[in-house]
Amino acid sequence: MPATVESYVPPPPGAELLRATSLSLRWRVSFDRAIGYLLPLLYLVALLPIAWIVYWVSVHALVTLNWSALTDTSPLDTHSLAVPIISTFYVMLLATVIAVVFGLFGGIATAEFLSERVAGWVRTSANLLAGTPSVVVGYFGYFAFVLYFGWGLNVISGSFTLAFFMLPYLFRTVDLAYTSVPRSIREAAYGQGARPLQYLLRIATPIAFPQVLNGVFLAMAIGVGETAPLWLTLEQSALVPTGLFQPASFLTGQIFEDYTSGPGTPGIALAFEAAFILLVVVISLNIIVRIISARFRKRVEGLFQ
Amino acid sequence: MGRRAKKHLSTAVALVAALVPTAVVIGVVVSLLSASDFHNLGWAFFGSKWNSNTQTYGVAIFVVGSFLTAIPALVLSMLVGLGIAIASTSYLPRWITRIIDPCVDFLAGIPSIIYGLWGYLLLAPIFGTLISPWVVQHLGFIPGFSAPSYVYVGGVGLPLSIVVLTLMSLPITTLLIRDALRSVPRDLVESGLALGATRWETVRRISMRHGSRGIWSAAFLGFGRAFGETVAVAMVLGAATAYPTTVFSQTDTMAAFMFDNLDGALSTPGELQALAELAILLLAITLVVNVVGRRFVSALYTQEVAGL
Amino acid sequence: MTAANASGPPVLSVRKLRVRAGKRTLLDDVDLEFEQKSLTAVIGPSGCGKTTFVRSLNRMTEMTPGLKISGRVDYLGQNIYDPAVDPVLVRRRIGMVFQRPTVFPMSVFENAAFGLRLIREEENEIDRAVMEALQRAGLWDEVKDDLNRSALGLSGGQQQRLCIARALAVQPKVLLMDEPCSALDPAATQRVEATMDRLKQEIVIVLVTHNVGQAARVSDRVAFLHSGHLVEVGVTADILERPREKLTEQFITGRFG
Repeated sequence: MPATVESYVPPPPGAELLRATSLSLRWRVSFDRAIGYLLPLLYLVALLPIAWIVYWVSVHALVTLNWSALTDTSPLDTHSLAVPIISTFYVMLLATVIAVVFGLFGGIATAEFLSERVAGWVRTSANLLAGTPSVVVGYFGYFAFVLYFGWGLNVISGSFTLAFFMLPYLFRTVDLAYTSVPRSIREAAYGQGARPLQYLLRIATPIAFPQVLNGVFLAMAIGVGETAPLWLTLEQSALVPTGLFQPASFLTGQIFEDYTSGPGTPGIALAFEAAFILLVVVISLNIIVRIISARFRKRVEGLFQ
Repeated sequence: MGRRAKKHLSTAVALVAALVPTAVVIGVVVSLLSASDFHNLGWAFFGSKWNSNTQTYGVAIFVVGSFLTAIPALVLSMLVGLGIAIASTSYLPRWITRIIDPCVDFLAGIPSIIYGLWGYLLLAPIFGTLISPWVVQHLGFIPGFSAPSYVYVGGVGLPLSIVVLTLMSLPITTLLIRDALRSVPRDLVESGLALGATRWETVRRISMRHGSRGIWSAAFLGFGRAFGETVAVAMVLGAATAYPTTVFSQTDTMAAFMFDNLDGALSTPGELQALAELAILLLAITLVVNVVGRRFVSALYTQEVAGL
Repeated sequence: MTAANASGPPVLSVRKLRVRAGKRTLLDDVDLEFEQKSLTAVIGPSGCGKTTFVRSLNRMTEMTPGLKISGRVDYLGQNIYDPAVDPVLVRRRIGMVFQRPTVFPMSVFENAAFGLRLIREEENEIDRAVMEALQRAGLWDEVKDDLNRSALGLSGGQQQRLCIARALAVQPKVLLMDEPCSALDPAATQRVEATMDRLKQEIVIVLVTHNVGQAARVSDRVAFLHSGHLVEVGVTADILERPREKLTEQFITGRFG
């Protein structure tokens, strides 16, 4: 049989779709595919350290952590974290209250009452404050409260300093929460003759509340983890503070004080335990925030159409 | 009280409350300036020796140190952040990114002192006994990459600091770049794909262009984070008041030095004022970076809108 | 089929195309052929599957997760859904223009040259191809003085014509247009329609439109889709004046004008 010229069926003209017509196209597609495998690996750069840190801190802390370490408030006990924990709580409480007072009123004022120009300036300065290094805020607190006001290194200086560090975050959140009340609702309220205070109390605040609450928790998460603002304005103490003008220890300070203690010493154990407590607090706050956000989204689904 | 008066009062209260952030910023500047007593603002301030015994307070080392740690950290965190953001928006399915993206964001929630603790106790020995010797052995021919073991064996120093700072800036850069890329309209991306572009090509040529403002914001904010970081750097940089001579050297940054030396300064005449001036310098640089960044990003916006 | 355009085998051949999303069937057993140098209008009420149909012609359906496609779409005899076929190549030959103008944030020139740069054409080739594409799209005279200005500064109609030029630059044989005029004002619409009218003498155009008047003005054939089914297809004049199916008649009389 002669070679089958007749039986050769040429591929349809559309066959050009089948094969890459050039080397460069094959390269482009392969490159894209390779990137698709490599880039996701970069997630590990972020995720491994998190897992590692949480695991490492927990493992070391849980070895030494026990009930007495959390509750024994005797000043002679070098193994107890109770004093720093309680003191941190007090300082944080005071700082949060101060930050909320200024941040809430300031934020609402900016969102509702100020002219656009002035509001712009205020927001810019809030942003600048947010970008200020914590040590600079600490120095400010030292010079202003400890020295100039003459309060000294104690709870009140520390709380005010920390409060001013937390302030811009709260301010921004409150500002955003109130400005994102839908225009239509705002106009409807004022159109009905509501006066600013009424509008605020009965309409805007219930809507903005979850976001504000989130902002408070987030600011607390930031505040509890800060070291510099307190370290420079608050003197450590082995006792729980009983007044505003007393020294107090705090968790982050405890870590900084003890981190150079050698292995096996009570100091390093305290450092790990404090770190662990900090992580627990921060994670809990974050979870709370997430829950509130989810609830909020469901509630407001219809509002923001 | 009459209605008018009430309105004026409430406006006044509002104004005062709103001005608090501004007041604080001004307060910071004023307090630092007055603390410094304008003591030291001569050329000597920018010299490189800081010695409380001889009363010379030169901040050059710290300025250099701050930039030397922040810039590499910025570069690394931008690169990794870019990669993660691109993977998240263009390559991975939504159900995966919905889980892992918040995990990456959580990096931001870890207190800086815990980064410092981890860096100092866990990473430093790894750097000192594994990584640095390896580098010296294999890359030692490059100038600056070789050093006697006492320099690097502790592990603390530039490389460790840069790694820690990268991790701390990473959540910011990733978040902002991710938002920027995600805000590219879907049909713009689809137009690119409909022209026969691969996913990578649409991201590189279209999405990154469209989102360039957000990407620049990420850079400026990430830099600010790394530049101003205090405690973690104080714990892992080694606090040596000297210029780094090798890649592994210990040195100091403005923020870390300020943090470590405030109590010491109380007993030395003149040092407190000098530290206050250092604080002013740090604040000034931070503000400048902030303002420049903001201006730059909004300039990009007006360019875009005007069709330039 | 139209005597004037029947010159060779159909460029696109759709056989038993079925598209499902979970339990819902978006397109059910569609058979359709597209001849060379013709403009086919695909009309139908909203939700009838027009957009899904046209997106399945260049494998853009792969952008939406969860869509299942069965049947074949043959381009010049080759099934585009064949696993051996590369979607990147499909989209070069079957281009697409979207509902809203989607110019990239670059200059007019760079927009038009986008597809060409991907395939690494020579610089002078690109210049020539860009000019030709802009001319075919009817935009050349308006932009030739400043090709480097940003495409974002063009008017809506100009932007849409730029998108057409961009798609044309890579020499596709088919151009899919998904309601390209719905975001344009009447004057701009008229210009785009003039462009379509010219282009249909060179390539195959599949035009999705909700505007029956537009279909009447520019198309050779009309295909009427309803609830995912191809109800009727035929020469434009036949369909619009003497529709055979009740559904078609109801739709047209309700929408004509």
